[in-house]
Amino acid sequence: MSDPTTMIELQDVHKSYGHLEVLRGIDLLITKSEVVVVIGPSGSGKSTMLRCINALEPIQRGHILIEGIDITDSKTNVNKVRQKIGMVFQSFNLFPHKTALENVMLAPLKVQKKSHSEAERIARDLLVTVGLSEKADSHPDQLSGGQQQRVAIARALAMQPDMMLFDEVTSALDPELVAEVLNVMKDLALAGMTMVVVTHEMGFAREVGTRMIFMDEGVIVEESHPREMIANPREERTKKFLGMVL
Amino acid sequence: MESLLNGFEAFQRYYLNWEIIQETFPLLLQTLPLVLELLVLSMVFSFVLGLILSLMRLSRFRPLRWFAGAYVDFFRGLPLLLNLVFVYSGLAIVGAGSGLRFLILPPITAAVVSLSTTYAAYSAEVFRAGIESIHRGQMEAARSLGMTYAQSMRYVVLPQAIKVVIPPLTNEFIALIKDTSLASVISLQELLFTAKEKMGVVANPTPLAVAAVVYVIFTIPLIRLASRLEKKRDRGSKGTKPTDGSVDKPSALVSADIATQLPKGGGVR
Repeated sequence: MSDPTTMIELQDVHKSYGHLEVLRGIDLLITKSEVVVVIGPSGSGKSTMLRCINALEPIQRGHILIEGIDITDSKTNVNKVRQKIGMVFQSFNLFPHKTALENVMLAPLKVQKKSHSEAERIARDLLVTVGLSEKADSHPDQLSGGQQQRVAIARALAMQPDMMLFDEVTSALDPELVAEVLNVMKDLALAGMTMVVVTHEMGFAREVGTRMIFMDEGVIVEESHPREMIANPREERTKKFLGMVL
Repeated sequence: MESLLNGFEAFQRYYLNWEIIQETFPLLLQTLPLVLELLVLSMVFSFVLGLILSLMRLSRFRPLRWFAGAYVDFFRGLPLLLNLVFVYSGLAIVGAGSGLRFLILPPITAAVVSLSTTYAAYSAEVFRAGIESIHRGQMEAARSLGMTYAQSMRYVVLPQAIKVVIPPLTNEFIALIKDTSLASVISLQELLFTAKEKMGVVANPTPLAVAAVVYVIFTIPLIRLASRLEKKRDRGSKGTKPTDGSVDKPSALVSADIATQLPKGGGVR
């Protein structure tokens, strides 16, 4: 089998919606504790790539391996594999009929079949970690966007995943709420979590990213260390894109 | 002036004849247990069957989708009256002719079967619309936590969808109350049947007026309730949207457009 520190492996991944080819041959290997920042213009396929890693989208060609398990194999139990992967979405997607605490508790209760008290202990600890212990009994519509997103991170962490995927998690936030979410993510990265982060937050990328990937038109155009890429982009397209977002 | 008075008197004598009202009212009240039995059984069966059909319609298994789609189309197109006559008289003739005695149904059973089968099709559409109104991000968030499709439906999507469908289901229920009167054609001794019978005896349509009043007394509070629930739901529905910023950034729009092109039940495995 492959190297045990390999968390995510994409081999020649092709993905299309009808005639629209969104991913056109992606090869990527992500090892333990890496923080991979994915950048690129709108429609470049970066969010789609994340969604494919979590098997939320089927792919037409290639393979995706999570800790050596091929999730594109129809015999693989994707529900099992998804438990290793935490995902946080741009639009939070908290469950509006449940409190913050219940949002975090749901998966440990129903998927891991933990006892109510055990699930609640985990959830309360995580809400402390993301700085929202006093909001445990609030419903999502009583929370700010930043708070909702931090609950969403806690919810994903409750399954004790080996890796986390962040899909433009600060894009829907008011500017003053971005920092509180990024701080939680920074702490996670420093704790050694393997992370794939689709974002336009170059400050975050520079500070905690261990690798940066620039995608355009469904392919990886360039990859290097974030500081290196931001300072000296090699490709013309990368230069142009960074010129617009910096 | 005199003819107007005559007209008024005639109206009163034939539609609001006090003596006949007094005779009819207790008769109609006696039918209420039967009407309620028919109503409650049909409601429970049609809601359960409707929910199952709606889940089949949204399933990723093509035969299930096809079956549920065909069922809904057929029973939405089929007149309820025809359904009733078929289940009661039609099956009885088959049962009598072929010796399959179990096909000869008592009127109450036949009425429950036809009301349930037809209203299941209506409810299925209501449930389907309710489930589809829940943003697909909810299902994705649940699946990304490792929940199965069934778990995600049960703990995340359906609890939200139920809230959405309660007002339209209340409207279905109101229509069902009125449609129980169709069972009078298969000689079920419900409200309308009993009123018509009385009308024949007294040669006066006042019993119909009494029956009308009973139906209206039953339905008006429910009509009010439905519109109150609707208003309440529409006030509370902001909960699913983020409270700040907009998610309708170009990339989100693109993926939303793409989502509509996906085949039903496709996507999340």
